[in-house]
Amino acid sequence: MATRPTVTIISAEGKASDATHPLPNVFKVPIRPDIVQSVHTGMAKNKRQPYAVSEKAGHQTSAESWGTGRAVARIPRVSGGGTHRAGQAAFGNMCRSGRMFAPTKVWRKWHKKLSLGQKRFATASALAASSNAALLMARGHNVSTVPEVPLVISSSAFSNNAIIKTQAALKLLSAVGAGADVEKVRNSRKLRAGKGKLRGRRHKQRRGPLVVYNPDEDGKDLVRAFRNIPGVESSSVYALNLLQLAPGGHLGRFIIWTSAAFAALDSIYGSTTEASSLKRDFLLPSALVKQPDIGALINSSEIQSVLRSVKGGAVTKRPMVQKKNPLNNRQVLLRLNPYAKQYSADKMGQTKLKNEKPPKTGDDFLKIEMEA
Amino acid sequence: MADHFSPDLIWEITRKRSAMLVKRKQAGGVQFSKDPLNLTNIHSRKYEGFVNDKAIGVQPAANQEKGVTLFTKKSHQANKPASELQTTTFGPSTSSRKTYRSIVSQTAGRGYRPDLRQSAVARASAIKLSQKDKKANPPVKLRGARAKKAKDEGKA
Repeated sequence: MATRPTVTIISAEGKASDATHPLPNVFKVPIRPDIVQSVHTGMAKNKRQPYAVSEKAGHQTSAESWGTGRAVARIPRVSGGGTHRAGQAAFGNMCRSGRMFAPTKVWRKWHKKLSLGQKRFATASALAASSNAALLMARGHNVSTVPEVPLVISSSAFSNNAIIKTQAALKLLSAVGAGADVEKVRNSRKLRAGKGKLRGRRHKQRRGPLVVYNPDEDGKDLVRAFRNIPGVESSSVYALNLLQLAPGGHLGRFIIWTSAAFAALDSIYGSTTEASSLKRDFLLPSALVKQPDIGALINSSEIQSVLRSVKGGAVTKRPMVQKKNPLNNRQVLLRLNPYAKQYSADKMGQTKLKNEKPPKTGDDFLKIEMEA
Repeated sequence: MADHFSPDLIWEITRKRSAMLVKRKQAGGVQFSKDPLNLTNIHSRKYEGFVNDKAIGVQPAANQEKGVTLFTKKSHQANKPASELQTTTFGPSTSSRKTYRSIVSQTAGRGYRPDLRQSAVARASAIKLSQKDKKANPPVKLRGARAKKAKDEGKA
């Protein structure tokens, strides 16, 4: 078995330290954007609050249909007289001041029950995707200054209450190369279009890095330090949430791990063969195709060694080629008529026909002929 | 980690959805890319720089008025974004031909993405062209006696 790849642990100053940690197994889970997206869609529904139009809306009138024979539609009409309202159609969804079609009810099914296996798969898959720099960039994170992905900071940076102030947290973020992403979030803050402005969602902004800590070793004070930085979120490694790991269902959240949280991942998620110690009956999913690089697969020595050698010589006959005219194309002519080369070398085409008379046979010949 | 994330997989994930992707309805729904390592700015498997293990980028030189910078990706540093790029800057004094020759010899000439040779040179050439000083318009030649006369009268 090949050695497990290791991840360098970055010090509080942003320098690579000598300490490394083997890559936890959860980062080798297959990347499944389809599962992550469908689970995210379901999970995002689970904190909705019920809303509905008023039960009475559109029905607060004593309208009755006029029936047939009045040369107007049979829709209920407001009774009485003396106001413009009298005689106007009511109740129907097509009417002015009527109720809406299929009025919304508070007892709509707001929440979505999701299979636990799928939720765990999606979380593990989102974590795996967060270890690839290309996917972070594709999600829009500015990671060009980050020394390594996944980014693991030594837990000693958080010890002794080093990070309880936002100022210290900001300094740490810029030291480890995450400053550009935080800056991007700050510049992205825009007023929301539409009614959301009035409903507590006044601004829109990007998501920055997610700081994942181990509450047992790093404490929880760092949460307060990070929470006032725009776009930066923090999460305990024991309570990772897909809505934070893959916002919008898009893979590749930029995650900053503390080394204690990183070390805890193997015990939380287990491996493909060893059950997780904290999640009941959970084995990490493994890919059906272990090697996703098809080109590498074809060119591997295992495959190449059992293939027969290519038949035919260097020149293969090409089917369906345009016919060339041998009178114009010399190479085609030579292929059809190898003598053509010598023919032109000897300038046979230019030699004149011999038109002289044949030499006379001579007197001796005639004499012999006549004698016979 | 690189073996776990093949370029083919990354491309399938980001093909439809990516921060680099710019979709427009014009011209039959063109798909462009904002990737600095994309030589043609076309969102495709071949040209998209962040997808491929090896990629070439050509950009106007930063902090200089003129000149071109060549970026190549170090494929073994894929998980280290800060040290992933190899950069070479060709300043304004480097001739165009020398710039193109160097770009080719540093990339395609060494078997590094030979398929991008033409696009890399074309992009460098386009950048060089855009950095040329614009020629001032030639002075307007007056045509005909009447125009000359009108000009003289204007002076007087």
